[in-house]
Amino acid sequence: MSDTETTLRIERLIASPPEVLFALWIEPAQLLKWWAPDGYEASVDVLDVRPGGRWRTTMRRPDGGLVATSGVYRIVEPPRRLSFTWAWEGENGARGHETEVLLTFEATPGGTRLVLLQERFESKETCDRHTVGWSSAFHRIEKIAF
Amino acid sequence: MPAAQPPQLDSLFAALADPTRRAIIDRLLARGELSVGEVAARFSISTPAITRHLQVLEAAGLIERRIERQWRFVRVRANALAPMENWLARQRQHWSAALDRMEAVAAAQTPRQRKS
Repeated sequence: MSDTETTLRIERLIASPPEVLFALWIEPAQLLKWWAPDGYEASVDVLDVRPGGRWRTTMRRPDGGLVATSGVYRIVEPPRRLSFTWAWEGENGARGHETEVLLTFEATPGGTRLVLLQERFESKETCDRHTVGWSSAFHRIEKIAF
Repeated sequence: MPAAQPPQLDSLFAALADPTRRAIIDRLLARGELSVGEVAARFSISTPAITRHLQVLEAAGLIERRIERQWRFVRVRANALAPMENWLARQRQHWSAALDRMEAVAAAQTPRQRKS
């Protein structure tokens, strides 16, 4: 029996150091090199990379439609940890399901162990209790990568 | 890529944010229909507390109740978890592809290490 999962976890071993990877997330020019799928045109509206700072990116679909994602940074600890809230924005500006993404960049002999966790964003009231949840989430979630 | 967000997604995730409620769902999925007493017997918390958890799960559309004489039974609604599973699958696809692209960019910026 697997538990009912509400958290996404992806782990990758990458042959690049944490400093290189971290920069790819927080520098606009670097982010634009990989953020959008092929055929999409990405732009960075704002990356205010500090706790409480906003971020927003826009992608133009091949058919011309715009898709935006945005949120607020919560943890900024280069080059080890980065977390931010994350939601798709609808055409009418309404935000979709609000989640939080936590990235950890752990230096390994060959490069970096990158772990991405995405789960429902907890409101302030439940946040303290939930910091414990991150660590338990590490143990119960399916692994995707190698 | 994003599709319209089902309106119930937030209440679904909220309902399942609690470990006890997740455990209740897991148990119901394993056992099918259970009486409220049978659900409560598995957990070291009071029946009123279990009842409150069940109310949250019902409001989120995760479970349905049936009353037979003096007993109340609960079970997981068919396809109740589908919106959440779809969302997780979409996000997994999104990030897997994005991390592939990120890894390729990183490789181009990382000096190749000589293997001895």
